[in-house]
Amino acid sequence: MTDVLAEKRGIQRERCKTGIEGLDNILNGGIPRGNTILVTGSCGTGKTTLSLEFLVHGALSGEKCLFISVTEPSSKLLANLIPYEFFDDRLIEQGLLVFIDMPALYERLGLRKTEFTFEEIHMLVNAISGIVRELQIKRLVIDSITSVCFQLKTEEKIREFILKLGKALSDFGCTSLLVSEISPAEQRYSMYGVEEAIADGIIILGNLERKGDLLRTMQVVKMRGTSHSRAKYVLDLTPIGILLVPLLKGGMGAEK
Amino acid sequence: MVETVSVGIEGLNEALLKGLPKGYTLLVSGEPGSGTELFAKQFATAGIGKENVLYITTTERTEDIINTMHEFGWKSDMQIVNIATMYYEEILAKELEISKYRQEGIGVNDVKNITLDESKMRATNFLTLANYRVSRLKPPFRIVIDSIDFFMEIYDRSDVLSTMRLIKAHSQHHGGVVCITMLKDVYDRATQSGLEEIADCVVELQKEKTQLETQLKLFVKKVRNHPEKGETLLLEIGDKGFVAKPMK
Repeated sequence: MTDVLAEKRGIQRERCKTGIEGLDNILNGGIPRGNTILVTGSCGTGKTTLSLEFLVHGALSGEKCLFISVTEPSSKLLANLIPYEFFDDRLIEQGLLVFIDMPALYERLGLRKTEFTFEEIHMLVNAISGIVRELQIKRLVIDSITSVCFQLKTEEKIREFILKLGKALSDFGCTSLLVSEISPAEQRYSMYGVEEAIADGIIILGNLERKGDLLRTMQVVKMRGTSHSRAKYVLDLTPIGILLVPLLKGGMGAEK
Repeated sequence: MVETVSVGIEGLNEALLKGLPKGYTLLVSGEPGSGTELFAKQFATAGIGKENVLYITTTERTEDIINTMHEFGWKSDMQIVNIATMYYEEILAKELEISKYRQEGIGVNDVKNITLDESKMRATNFLTLANYRVSRLKPPFRIVIDSIDFFMEIYDRSDVLSTMRLIKAHSQHHGGVVCITMLKDVYDRATQSGLEEIADCVVELQKEKTQLETQLKLFVKKVRNHPEKGETLLLEIGDKGFVAKPMK
């Protein structure tokens, strides 16, 4: 409530700078701290890279960051991260960047069924928020929330999971990115449709074919707590990290 | 003449087809306390020395099986697959660990840098295990499954039925015999009928309490292609085990 009143008086919410070239400008300074953002897109659009870069920049500025990998073993993800110039493996040694595999959590909690009960969902939320509290995590990525949703199955359960988790994370001042996978033809921003309605923000990544080139694009569709551009940008994955340029410019570049 | 083997109980062989034809599956059902477990052991011992005997138990400790058999002076030289013990070690012990995490919560060190052993994570499928052990048997063989209820409890009914069908087909092909014990009247009709349909012979054990004494009876419910068979026999327990006698 105090946040709402503060915003009404024009006081800006504290921002969590993504550190991604161009994205903080689009967001007028960064993601409002404590927001839960859905990063959505089909495969190969850069969701994981964007999320990892968000964490690395956080860790570089001294914030404790947690990556929960659901589908891929985190050791494999790390291998992909090493080539980036912005990455520093001391971040891991110093405990600023922590990787956890969701299957390890499932295993410890004995969650083996294909559909979790509400009780099991609460256990999972408690386990994740417990670790966030224990380590005082300020930035969290779950890659992907869609894989978790596979085991929640119903809209009610997905809603329960994301709301409860989002609330717990926001209480700790933790800014979170939930990676969501959709097929390219999907009209929605998320697989189940529920995730997008609950999230505080949606960043959509996509592919765009232009003159024989397949461009990666990025668009901020929704972001509570800040004004932002809704324009589509071209996303470039470079060794120094993600670069964002307005689509028009990117398009003209391709025409050269 | 069909070749038969003894089911191990005097009097019952005659009520079937002068024994149990090779390749046949016998289903023994009864209420708790009606003697199905003892029946299973007596059936097993009847094959020892002549057949390879595989005894799959889901309820007892191995030493309890052996001790019981020795009490009656039965041979116990058979392969015992103790699913009860495996289930405890693999599943129940793990459940205890899980309850600790659920109760006390998870710390980052409980999950960080954990390499999950996929083979350990994937729980043994005991149906597959039973099927596998059966497939390794060299004919002539005799198989006892005591009891099917454990499988019914933890697996889909249809999976249990298809495994029993596989085991039956295997023993049919190799001329072995199978004895399966099952609790009576606890499953839905489709499941019970399904199992009775797979079995070539079905016997029911009944425990009846009269004013003065308790009587054990055995009802021959089914003998394949012999609908005329359907005797009820009195079961007595002597120092050599069950003896079946005609009702007076």
